[in-house]
Amino acid sequence: MRELLESIVQEGLTAGANFCEARFFEERSNSISIENGVARTLGSGILHGVGIRVIVARRWGFASTNMLTMGSARRALEDAIGGAKSIATQVGEEAEIVEAKPEVDTVSHKVKMNPEDVSPEEKVKRMLEIEKVARTYSNRVKDTFVTYRDVLTKVAVCNSFGTSIEETTPRTYAYCSVIAKEGENMQTGFEYVGNVTGYEIVDSVQPEEFSEKAAKKAVNLLGAQPPPRGTHTIVVDQRVGGLFIHEAFGHNSEGDLVFGGQSIISDKVGQKVASDLVTIMDDPTMPRNGHFVYDHEGTKAEPHLIVKDGTLVGFLHSLESAAKLGSEPKGSARAQSHHHPPIIRMSNTYVAPGYMTFEEVLEDVDHGVYLSGSQYGYVETQKGQFTCKAEEAWLIEKGELTDYLRDVAINGLTLDALKNVTAVSKDFKMEMPGTCGKGQQGMYVDAGAPHVRIEGIVVGGRR
Amino acid sequence: MTDMEEKIDLARPVERALRLLSTMDVDVFDISASYSRSLSISLLGRGIKDAVSRTDLGMGVRVYKSRGMGVAFSQSLKPADVEMTVQRAHSFARVAQPDPYFKGIPGPAKAPEVPGLCDSEIVNLTLEEAGGFCKRMIDAVEKVHRGAMYMGGLSSNHSRGFLVTSTGVSYEAEKTSISTYIAPTFREGDDVGSSYEYDYGISLAEINFDEIGEKAAEKALEQFGSKRIESGILPLILTPDSASSLCFGLLGAISGESAVKGRTFASGCLRKQIAPEILEIDDDGTVPSAIASSTYDGEGVPRRPTRVIAKGTILTFLHNSYSAGIAGVETTGHAQRMGYRGYVGAGPSNIRVKPGDSSLDEMIEGTKMGLLVTNASFFPNMVSGEFSTTIDEGFLIENGEKKHPVKNLMVGGHILDLYRSIESISKEGRTLGRGFFFPSIKARDVKLAGR
Repeated sequence: MRELLESIVQEGLTAGANFCEARFFEERSNSISIENGVARTLGSGILHGVGIRVIVARRWGFASTNMLTMGSARRALEDAIGGAKSIATQVGEEAEIVEAKPEVDTVSHKVKMNPEDVSPEEKVKRMLEIEKVARTYSNRVKDTFVTYRDVLTKVAVCNSFGTSIEETTPRTYAYCSVIAKEGENMQTGFEYVGNVTGYEIVDSVQPEEFSEKAAKKAVNLLGAQPPPRGTHTIVVDQRVGGLFIHEAFGHNSEGDLVFGGQSIISDKVGQKVASDLVTIMDDPTMPRNGHFVYDHEGTKAEPHLIVKDGTLVGFLHSLESAAKLGSEPKGSARAQSHHHPPIIRMSNTYVAPGYMTFEEVLEDVDHGVYLSGSQYGYVETQKGQFTCKAEEAWLIEKGELTDYLRDVAINGLTLDALKNVTAVSKDFKMEMPGTCGKGQQGMYVDAGAPHVRIEGIVVGGRR
Repeated sequence: MTDMEEKIDLARPVERALRLLSTMDVDVFDISASYSRSLSISLLGRGIKDAVSRTDLGMGVRVYKSRGMGVAFSQSLKPADVEMTVQRAHSFARVAQPDPYFKGIPGPAKAPEVPGLCDSEIVNLTLEEAGGFCKRMIDAVEKVHRGAMYMGGLSSNHSRGFLVTSTGVSYEAEKTSISTYIAPTFREGDDVGSSYEYDYGISLAEINFDEIGEKAAEKALEQFGSKRIESGILPLILTPDSASSLCFGLLGAISGESAVKGRTFASGCLRKQIAPEILEIDDDGTVPSAIASSTYDGEGVPRRPTRVIAKGTILTFLHNSYSAGIAGVETTGHAQRMGYRGYVGAGPSNIRVKPGDSSLDEMIEGTKMGLLVTNASFFPNMVSGEFSTTIDEGFLIENGEKKHPVKNLMVGGHILDLYRSIESISKEGRTLGRGFFFPSIKARDVKLAGR
């Protein structure tokens, strides 16, 4: 396949492209869905194809196909070149990239247990064991769902700088969700694990820390109260902290949004954007769900320091944003599949740990809300306004956790919120494996934090 | 049809899969395949960023063996890959356990073809033309106010799909679609004026690019000077773009197996009044030239008009054959299939909310203190029905007048309480894709979390 990609790159240059990149993508996945003790569906899928990107007449053109023949790849190259030419005279962003150091490498992430070596029957048996613990937890458990998924992704990138890399990455996930019911009141609880790993992650799941925990949350939420509405001091756990930093700040640090005028921190390098307690990293070299060795432009990944002790020190870059913002690319451009051009994505994003204990973070809070477990979040980067939804929460009264709360979401203005961080604990965790959506592309990411205390955050609710 | 499309043969791989499956010991099966060609232009920063074209094809197989389901799909239609996809779906179905709710898949039925679902202008659209339409949107923004930075884009799609089942369903469908949006951001010091405008449809002729750009600019400029407001309990007026999420949340909760298995907040609401009598909602997948129309649903069942809510009462759930089997009713023709991946769900098609008798201006004039919500999602937790959402764009109303935009404001409650508190529905609204219609909706006493 790399020979085909290299030929296409040469043909692109011959046809007049200033830059040409050909990328092969393949994703093989298997899944199992268990519902109330029945292995209802087993599925598998194969995605594969080639995406070709060129710079012609100072504009980007991209085309993709799932037909893996030289003829189809050539037609895609023609489409990409034609696309770039078609917008050459229109108002817009000129394509500009830094000259990248060529990389030639083949990377295959090792696993302890290859999911392909475990039979579907064995996987079903294991998932049923995990599911049963949730189903039998309480008579208030109404429905249980356990999902298993393994994905093997292969990406090969060749470009006109001479880069030719191939990276094969296995990922494995398990997800449990539970619906509990009491009268008309229904609530859900969930747990999940996932990483760049093999079947060993599922093999090592302890049901009492996984499916039982999901069931316990669902049942307990039946008795939870709505949160008090208004502006409060909040303390977030490691998952909500990870969600917060990914949404509220991480997206604002993506170089394409910075040069595209969509970020509130575009002119703030070297300035204070957060309290002294806040250091923010994005690190694709960490062995978590957002891990990779080469990005999808073929740049070798390095850790990125974004905020150091409250001061903005850099952004996440592609070849293009590094050129436009005068920086070095460190490997942040990834694409969902061959059908998508690489765009700047976070990897494993986190708030660095501080020195306090969780109890010390709580003890100064006279009245506030403690949020735990992440559901979803989003941000309007151009305005710097974010929203994060937690799984469960507690009222904080005089430094103690009191009333149990449900349906808790927070909203804030990113820069105000970061400047109002008043405590950061030392108990760091990164356990939010998932996918992040941007520009109609989903991408594997992870996020983490220690416990973080933030003043003046709007908590939505019915009370 | 382009030269390239003529070479894409979906029929042969589907026939190959059909032949293989016909020799296997299975309960039932279906095979779906599709081909699509899409073009897109993206906007970022000062204008057009890139031009993209995609060619996609694939085949999915769904097999039931002893009422256990195996699903497999592949983006390769080479004979060996077709065979492997079939074998994999078959072997998985043998491992899957019997689904006690599964009662079979639909047989063939004839329906008159819904006209106007394929627009030759979109089939023949070029990237150069698409770039020109984006430029028109940008020019329209700049005519209102210069100096914006942009996000947005335009996407067009032309697809052909096949569905063949062991029960005798066999049909081919062709469709086009186009969608576009533009989000200008203006800055004055630390103040930001940012919003967006969009449209979508089956055909190019229904998209007014100049109007989209002009509206986006006007909406963005209106967002300057946003202020925080106090927490409180106020009436909300949802404009059509916000009212649509309120409707989609409810219709999602009365669709398919989650609804009939008692897993949504609306599972217990069938034949119950959930809103004042002024609320009426129809679903109709047979509207000619409409974005969510098709002759058949994702299982080959003819689409039909469905009255979903009349006088505030939910008359029916929206079914595919699986959920209909559980409920002991006929399917309503709302099966949805996600391309060729094999899985089948259920959901609404073209939704029309019946217009009321007041105008949006009258709603605002009749509000002493309230909130006009122009952009927010009221999609609730589908199990509990609770929601807690940010007002992404909205305006404070004081003494019958729109005052200033708001920020840092949330709204929360139970979605069924919000439906019960509907006070009025506007007579004018927004039609989208020639099939959807959403008016403005006013609800009383909604809890806001602010300063």
